[in-house]
Amino acid sequence: MDIKHSSPSVIPDHEPSTSEKVLAFLDERLGLKEMQAKMLNEPIPGGSRWAYVFGSILLFIFAMQAVTGTMLMFYYVPTADHAYDSTQYIIHDVDYGWFLLSYHFWGSSAMVVCVFAHMSQVFLWGAYKKPRELLWLVGLALFGIVITFGFTGYLLPWDQRAFWATLVGVEILDKTPIIGDFIARFLKGGASPGQMTLSRFFVLHVMILPAALMALAGLHIFLFRVAAPAGPFKGTQEEIKAKTDYFFPRQIWKDIVGMAFVFVGLCALALWEPVVLLDKATPDPGEYHPEPEWYFLFYFQLLRLKLFGGQFGQFMGAVALPVLFMGLLVALPFFDKDPERNIFKRPIALISWIAIMVVIVLFTVAAVINREFLD
Amino acid sequence: MLQPKLKSKVRCTDHDIGEVTRVVLDPLSHEISHIVVSMNGSGERQVMMTQVQDVTEDAVQLRAPSSEILALPPFKREDYVTTHEVEISHLEDNIHVTPGEVLVPIPDLEKSVKRRTFFMNFTHVIGFLIGLPLAYPVLRFLMKPMYANFDNGWLKVGNVSKIKQEDVGTQFKYMKHVKEVYMPEYEVEKNVWILRATPDLLERVYQGKDVEFHDAKGKAIWTNKKDVPYIAFSGKCPHLGCGFKWRQHKALGQVFLCPCHLSIYDAGGKVLDGPAPRGLDALPLKVSPSGEVEIIDMEFKAGTKSQIRIV
Repeated sequence: MDIKHSSPSVIPDHEPSTSEKVLAFLDERLGLKEMQAKMLNEPIPGGSRWAYVFGSILLFIFAMQAVTGTMLMFYYVPTADHAYDSTQYIIHDVDYGWFLLSYHFWGSSAMVVCVFAHMSQVFLWGAYKKPRELLWLVGLALFGIVITFGFTGYLLPWDQRAFWATLVGVEILDKTPIIGDFIARFLKGGASPGQMTLSRFFVLHVMILPAALMALAGLHIFLFRVAAPAGPFKGTQEEIKAKTDYFFPRQIWKDIVGMAFVFVGLCALALWEPVVLLDKATPDPGEYHPEPEWYFLFYFQLLRLKLFGGQFGQFMGAVALPVLFMGLLVALPFFDKDPERNIFKRPIALISWIAIMVVIVLFTVAAVINREFLD
Repeated sequence: MLQPKLKSKVRCTDHDIGEVTRVVLDPLSHEISHIVVSMNGSGERQVMMTQVQDVTEDAVQLRAPSSEILALPPFKREDYVTTHEVEISHLEDNIHVTPGEVLVPIPDLEKSVKRRTFFMNFTHVIGFLIGLPLAYPVLRFLMKPMYANFDNGWLKVGNVSKIKQEDVGTQFKYMKHVKEVYMPEYEVEKNVWILRATPDLLERVYQGKDVEFHDAKGKAIWTNKKDVPYIAFSGKCPHLGCGFKWRQHKALGQVFLCPCHLSIYDAGGKVLDGPAPRGLDALPLKVSPSGEVEIIDMEFKAGTKSQIRIV
């Protein structure tokens, strides 16, 4: 058994079948077996866990978004006079159009949820620490891309919900000092939202962001492989080694079960809560109360605070707060140099995470309660 | 201590027992954890590094007698993969025992090349020269629709007979023709809030002064006279640009309320509550003797204390 698996000098005990010959032909040129071995035989310190499924699930959701999104482009027309009608056509006339569109719509929510879970897990496990700083930074960039995906995709159906969420979102970016006006006009392609805005958001959504996400996700996985999985935050080296297994089969099994759950969940959401468009976009909101997608509700509610009122307050809420938050996350692995990874021995980290959760939940609930008060 | 080399003789306390055929690495510490000893014809044994007393250039001295090593179970190759078949980065960084250097000859043509640094920099300069002339055209290309002149035309929005009560906000919807670049001209629905103001409210809004409106060059285009009892407010909330409404508020009575971030304004457009940085934006307005209202459709930047016109 000294001979390498891929070595052609292995003499089989039977005449190779055609498929074996084809495989051997490819393997000789591509090194498939070695590649497969390298992909599957990745030791996971401390063994596979359900907590580790989110990265794979995110890849799965992205793949499904790419597939459903490509399908939608067969009918969708990104123009101010046809975007709404073509989306309605997808929903009402194209066979299973409602399903593909709704799956794509709910897929974006799933993406945000899983990004949040993935980031939380890395944060709580202390897995952003040395030597995984770059992995964390690229992850943050991917987080930004996912959020931008949601924001740009929201406009494309060109209904009232789309129009107003975009209008307010761009106004928030407009609050950036010095370059804010330029950014807002650049995104809108003018002073007010219209065809130019739709074109720009479309290009971002279907071309620039997917390319950026694929490149950065590739880099993310590469960095992950270079740095190796962090493993559990407690247990001696011996205990961890005793439980270590490879990526295949146990972790892949857990990942695939997680993906199946997400798939079934998204299908169920698409079935029970299919996308229904509001009226066509127009600068008159009528009786519609503008509101962003649910995962932005807490921030929407935060901006209602008097604290973030007035020109300076708005700068604080719309620019300083998000920039500061992202800045802290970027700086995190560089000022948190304590090698301790156990979250129960990192009180500041644990309290910060809980505080952020509490703020998000409270403000989301407040936004929902406010809805009733408005009607 | 040196690392055990391949082919090194292995000595027990009594006599030589064979030679090193492989080493086993610990995947966590990346250190050598075992050596595999070929036992002069009696198979291979796996010996822990703790058993090793000393390593010299060509020999490994063990702490145990040969009988003890022979008594170990035979080495099982099928329990291991090679470093080429597993992805553990930098696994081999800590081993210094290799069969020797692996050499590849440099091509003859490469040997005579001088000025490698020059060629490297030259490549970068050419790349830069390709990119540089593109940067400005691409920027201008993308900026084309960003800045447009203001439209100061008057738009008919309805008749004041629609207003039933003084100091009460009434919404007037109107269609605005939009011609955006290559698109066919189309109409968008917009809205403006108009009040018939009591002298009291007029005084509060105008504070005794007419209000002048200017075009982009600063030339006056219209003056809202302080004694005209009608006021028109742009339908865009000065906080973040949503559309506000006229609503009954529990504590504040009848007010303009923006459902987005809950900015509240009184009938004169003054901020009563909420995050808005300035009051509602009054628009140039004229009312014909028959009561037809015309406005200039202006939009101002949201979120600033002062009015900055953008449309």
